[in-house]
Amino acid sequence: MAAQTSAPDTKSGGGALSRKELRRRHRETMRREEIISLRRRAALDMLWRIGRSLILFGLCFIILYPLLYMVSCAFRAQEDMHDPTVMWIPRHLTLSILQQTWSAMDYGKTFVRTLFLNIGCSFVQVAVCALTGYGFARFRFRSRDLLFGIVILQILVPTQIISIVQYMEFRYCLGLQPVMERISPALGSAFNLIDSPLTMYLPAMMGNGIRAGLMIYIFRQFFKGMPQELEDAAYLDGCGPFRTFLQVMTPNASASFLTVFLFSVVWYWNDYYVSSTFFTQNSTMALMLKNLNTQLSLVLFNSATVEVSPREQILWMEAGCLLAVFPLLLMYIFLQKHFTEGIEHSGLVG
Amino acid sequence: MKLPYQKRKALYGYGFIALWLVGTVIWFLYPLAESLRYSFMNVKPEKGGMQGSYVGLENYSYIFTVDPKYTQYLVKVLGETAIRTPLIIIFSLFIAVILNQKFKGRGFARAVFFLPVIIATGPVYNIINGDISKTGASSAGQFSTMFQTDLVGELFQFLGIYGLSDKVQSGIEFITNDVFGLVWSSGIQILIFLAALQNIPVSAKEAAQVEGATAWEFFWKITLPYVSPMILACLIFTVIDSFTAPDNLVMGHVLDMRGEWQYGYASAMAWVYFSIILAAVGLITLLMNCFIYYEVD
Repeated sequence: MAAQTSAPDTKSGGGALSRKELRRRHRETMRREEIISLRRRAALDMLWRIGRSLILFGLCFIILYPLLYMVSCAFRAQEDMHDPTVMWIPRHLTLSILQQTWSAMDYGKTFVRTLFLNIGCSFVQVAVCALTGYGFARFRFRSRDLLFGIVILQILVPTQIISIVQYMEFRYCLGLQPVMERISPALGSAFNLIDSPLTMYLPAMMGNGIRAGLMIYIFRQFFKGMPQELEDAAYLDGCGPFRTFLQVMTPNASASFLTVFLFSVVWYWNDYYVSSTFFTQNSTMALMLKNLNTQLSLVLFNSATVEVSPREQILWMEAGCLLAVFPLLLMYIFLQKHFTEGIEHSGLVG
Repeated sequence: MKLPYQKRKALYGYGFIALWLVGTVIWFLYPLAESLRYSFMNVKPEKGGMQGSYVGLENYSYIFTVDPKYTQYLVKVLGETAIRTPLIIIFSLFIAVILNQKFKGRGFARAVFFLPVIIATGPVYNIINGDISKTGASSAGQFSTMFQTDLVGELFQFLGIYGLSDKVQSGIEFITNDVFGLVWSSGIQILIFLAALQNIPVSAKEAAQVEGATAWEFFWKITLPYVSPMILACLIFTVIDSFTAPDNLVMGHVLDMRGEWQYGYASAMAWVYFSIILAAVGLITLLMNCFIYYEVD
């Protein structure tokens, strides 16, 4: 501890001497033990730095490994899979695998459909969750705590428990469908909501989409942390609660809105469980990827002339993965700041 | 008619949550109640809805007495979660502390460590995690799963350590072979811890410096108490995440049964599972509340 109290203080020295000179002079005044302790400290510091960079490098490699491998596979020709000298860098560069996977996944159409579903659902869901979170944060009403308990329950209950009943609700449109069918068959099939994007939109619109409970919780924490004075001032100026929310609270919460929105987009993009319950076709990117193997054997390897070993199939799978994560990666690269810094403002912490 | 301010405010509160409330009744509470009802029934999907007859607790007793897989899977999932959760928490706190220090390339390292956040919830993760034996390509040796090899066993042999008991060795191997899964499922936790670390007040840091605390002491006396509320949040998040993942064994079994049209039985299994999750989360919250340090304003 002695070393620390007498640590070199370069700032308060006279301006005439250089830093090095100052430090040398200071060292002369120190005792031997102090110097040894300082050196030990510096050595430990160095050791820690080396260890730290080793750990970080290793772990970063573990994380990036699958992505690098995807890229390496996607551009490689079939015969490279049997070439033992090819580990990372393909010997025959080709785009054909990527092109074949692109057409097998019907990439353009799937992408646009997923994007619309994603952005739309996320947008309404974030808006409704923010409203609900604000309601829970700022208003006292009867059985508020009980209702908030339901929000917590929504975070905890696995979707798998309720998805069957939800399927029935959509299939028969809350019991409306049989009635409609009696009127006319066309009307009946119109009220069968399975395979319609409404199966995703309706719950999202009512704050019950994917991970909506978590979002409500985050927004409630966030709005609780905001100063009450803003709203009081707005109230005194004759502003109603809904207008206060829109014009006073929302602009202040924009960073947090963006973060939650981005996460929502990611969750919707990645979801395959909920969408596989409500969609019978591979209409979203995640579903397409989940069933890529079947899709590939259906579209590409169907004819008898094609011979593809399981080992070679990896190439198409990896290319599909690359295509599916690419939009997310792009978004992440450009908006990374909002993913990582927004969470501090999102109210989850503190 | 003019209502008093308090009453009006309460009404506005209901107005704000109205949409969610309606949605919750339709898409959450009703399905929840229905699936609970199914679990006591033998149901079949018929035109217009589920039809069936009540069988009492038969489904539940079938789970524990007849079904050979359920209890086995359940024990396995519980055991794995019990081991993995603390590992993930410790690991992510460690990484967060490192990422909070100043060094060259920090921005890049952070970006890489948060990368799993956007990928790990999707089907891509299942594919790169080597879960492709189901999809037919099981002989894929050179897939992205190089971390499944028995590196530790070879290391032990190289070092000449043979005397370890099998249990210890398999424990160590379980951890090291799982490094991939560990790193890939800690994204959100690292994010939360990092944010908590940055919220530690400067005054606490300065006080510790003046008192001459070492980095080690600083971690135990300052960092840990300040992030302890977030440890609870991360614990709960990790537990729920690992319990409700669709690739989880018990969940897979439930979905398989559903594929065989055994809806009543599948519901019963899901409900047993859900009550265990609830109990686990409740227990963790109770235990952690004894150790959490809340700063009183």
